[in-house]
Amino acid sequence: MKILTEQQLKDFFKLVEQNYDLHVPIRLSDGTRAIGNLEEGPLAMAGDLILQKITSVFFPQMETMLTGNHEKMECPELPAKPILLVGLTAQDADCLAFIDRFYNANYRDDIYCNRREGAVIVCVTGRCGSNGEFLKMAGSKCDIELICDGKDFIVTEYTEAGKSLTGKMEKYKEVSAESFNRLRKESDDLSDNDVQLIQEASRILLEGKVPDEFWQKISTRCIACTSCNLTCPTCTCFDVFDRKLNNQVQRWRIWDSCQLDGFMREASGHNPMGEESMRTRRRIHHKLAADVSRWGEITCFLCGRCDRVCPTGIGIKAVCREIVEQYGSF
Amino acid sequence: MTSSISCFEQADCFFVTGSNTTEQHPLIGTRIIESVTKRGAKLIVADNRKIRLARLADLHIRLKNGTDVAFLNSVMNVIISEGWEDREFIKNRTENLEELKKVVVRYPPKKAADICGISEKEIVEAARIFAAANKAMIVYSMGITQHTHGVDNVKCCANLAMLTGNVGSPGKGVNPLRGQNNVQGACDMGALPDVYSGYQKVTEPGIREKFEKAWGVEDLPAKTGHTITTAINAAAEGKLKALYIMGENPMMSDPDQNHVRKALENLDFIIVQDIFPTPTSEYADIILPASSYAEKDGTFTSTERRIQRVRKAIEPIGQSRADWTILCDLAQRFGYQGMQYHSVSDIMDEIATVTPIYGGVSFERIEQTGLQWPCPDKNHPGTSVLHANGFSRGLGLFCPVDYRPSVELPDEEYPFVLSTGRCYFHFHTGTMTRRSQLLGREERFPYVEIAPADAEEQGIHDRMWIYVATRRGEVKAMARVTQVANRGVLFMPFHFEEGPANLLTINVLDPEAKIPEYKVCAAKIRIAQ
Repeated sequence: MKILTEQQLKDFFKLVEQNYDLHVPIRLSDGTRAIGNLEEGPLAMAGDLILQKITSVFFPQMETMLTGNHEKMECPELPAKPILLVGLTAQDADCLAFIDRFYNANYRDDIYCNRREGAVIVCVTGRCGSNGEFLKMAGSKCDIELICDGKDFIVTEYTEAGKSLTGKMEKYKEVSAESFNRLRKESDDLSDNDVQLIQEASRILLEGKVPDEFWQKISTRCIACTSCNLTCPTCTCFDVFDRKLNNQVQRWRIWDSCQLDGFMREASGHNPMGEESMRTRRRIHHKLAADVSRWGEITCFLCGRCDRVCPTGIGIKAVCREIVEQYGSF
Repeated sequence: MTSSISCFEQADCFFVTGSNTTEQHPLIGTRIIESVTKRGAKLIVADNRKIRLARLADLHIRLKNGTDVAFLNSVMNVIISEGWEDREFIKNRTENLEELKKVVVRYPPKKAADICGISEKEIVEAARIFAAANKAMIVYSMGITQHTHGVDNVKCCANLAMLTGNVGSPGKGVNPLRGQNNVQGACDMGALPDVYSGYQKVTEPGIREKFEKAWGVEDLPAKTGHTITTAINAAAEGKLKALYIMGENPMMSDPDQNHVRKALENLDFIIVQDIFPTPTSEYADIILPASSYAEKDGTFTSTERRIQRVRKAIEPIGQSRADWTILCDLAQRFGYQGMQYHSVSDIMDEIATVTPIYGGVSFERIEQTGLQWPCPDKNHPGTSVLHANGFSRGLGLFCPVDYRPSVELPDEEYPFVLSTGRCYFHFHTGTMTRRSQLLGREERFPYVEIAPADAEEQGIHDRMWIYVATRRGEVKAMARVTQVANRGVLFMPFHFEEGPANLLTINVLDPEAKIPEYKVCAAKIRIAQ
């Protein structure tokens, strides 16, 4: 098992950059972290949660779906290099696994799948959270995992794609399995209170115990900024529109938000979703109740983004807490 | 703003009037929501419309548009007669209380309630909640200022804050929210007819001399110039020959569109500098393509007086250029060699040398979180709360004012009050936001808010096309039947070129600030087809 410093990781990423489309955690000038390339900012493997929708590397905010003129229609070109995405948490890896399922089930979304195929996913876990907080380990949910011991990063690989990359790390220092096991134990010992909370909230919702008045109160605090949707790694909704330029037409898609009136409004002007409070209900209900029936799992994996970005404190965990407090049995 | 945005997290009471804060200043609106729902802060909303904050308010007062002076004077009347004023603050920090008393005594709740169309109880309750708070702040926006008595309204807000000792420390303050990303910065830089940068009067010889020396010029004008509104009037009267319009769209944003059209047609020469074509640029002799926020370096100064960096993300598209490079080139063509800079940082250095409130500002210092003015020297940390130890003039002067009705009130022929403003999804005249797919989807049509009872009376249902008419003209808009609107009042956003609310508004100005009365004019409606 190899162990690398942050500088060595940077050198390694530079080395493999010629074969991969590199997306790594970087530090922005305002001190926050984002996913970018090494020209856009210094590598920042540890620190505060990366607020940007982590799955945006495969499902960007806005992209061309088709380009055409009176003679032919063309799909976007295939990516020149496979994507190497570094910086997911264990929860992010769950999110990615879900939207992989989503975009492959029944209707296969070619644009997403073409980007996703051959991509290498690297989780960064261990003692590298905000103020040294220990982030739960991801295990085989990713191709490679970099586990921080508080300073350096222990490298484990779980797939052939992962091995083909870590195989190039021969020159770096070895570390004993014991160090890894210690971190593993620490990860296993982390509390799963949030998981219990969301499961309880999901149960209460499925049992129909949350009245409309609850959603009315919550929705009064929603200003429809849509940040919850725009940072959520499992939100997959998009709007489609056409742009005409000279003799060309481009069909684009852009992230949409179920917190907007127009998301469900009919051409008649009628919104079958009903009043505003039903939009807030939908945001929570979809992931905690509807998806449980459709996909067999709660599709919020507690990545923490909506709770961090919501300016009025009604992110998914906060709402779950209120549901459980008001309608739960414990 | 006399305080900072972070101060909203410390206030015990918010008095919000003439501001739809969650829609127009969401970062501040959400702080109010959090303070009310999490910290139990009190919220008084004085607004004719049932805005989102009204739903969370301890008290929502739906006073008639334009009756703010009567209402605020009456609140002060109650505070004084109940002995709830802050005597310590008044004694140490203010003067002219006796004159204020003489005026507000004329506004007992009964009289004000009649003027404002509210109950006496609401006035007393507002006074009680506001005066009882340890730290209360007044938050207002265009609903206070866009009146022929806008300056009077502001004076009343200031009087109320001083009367209750609510100025000069965190959590308190008189907080007008600026309506554009850099309107504060534009004013700071002297984009006003009477001042140089940092509000230094053009009429003061010493100030002129300082700028003449700094710029290497002679005979800088000693006369105050035109405001936007008076410039349009002067053009209409043939007293003005040319206009250079930068990032402004008076055809959509100024009152009485037909009057503006006439004014623009009357001019000999118009330059429009903007990032997109606008209804105003149709009248331009020359269009200078400017670059957008993403294509230039510089600073924006926020509503809390914070000077912040804007950074170039992409190269300017097409022939567009940053405004400062256009202006510097123009100056050079006019034969002036003094405006040659290597970068925007050089310009900030010049600003610092001639502008005391920006004296300590440099790009190096504002790199990460910016600085709040006044920041007079390189070692000054900036100022988060104004008037902490004293007002600019020393003692705060109570400026009592009497209620004057708005100019055009409803009558038999025009029975409705028409008020204008913005909606959540579009910004100002829509030149940018109406080009966005999702924002366009959310609000695609010009619309007019109407109260359900009024709609029913007129046989109007939701999304029906109606005509709204005033003495200036008629505009077709989609009816939005909503509880947000109060009986007898229509509200129209002014973003829509195809249904321009400002074709309807009245061109009357506040005598001092020359701001138009966008919030009150008389209107009638009829169903289209």
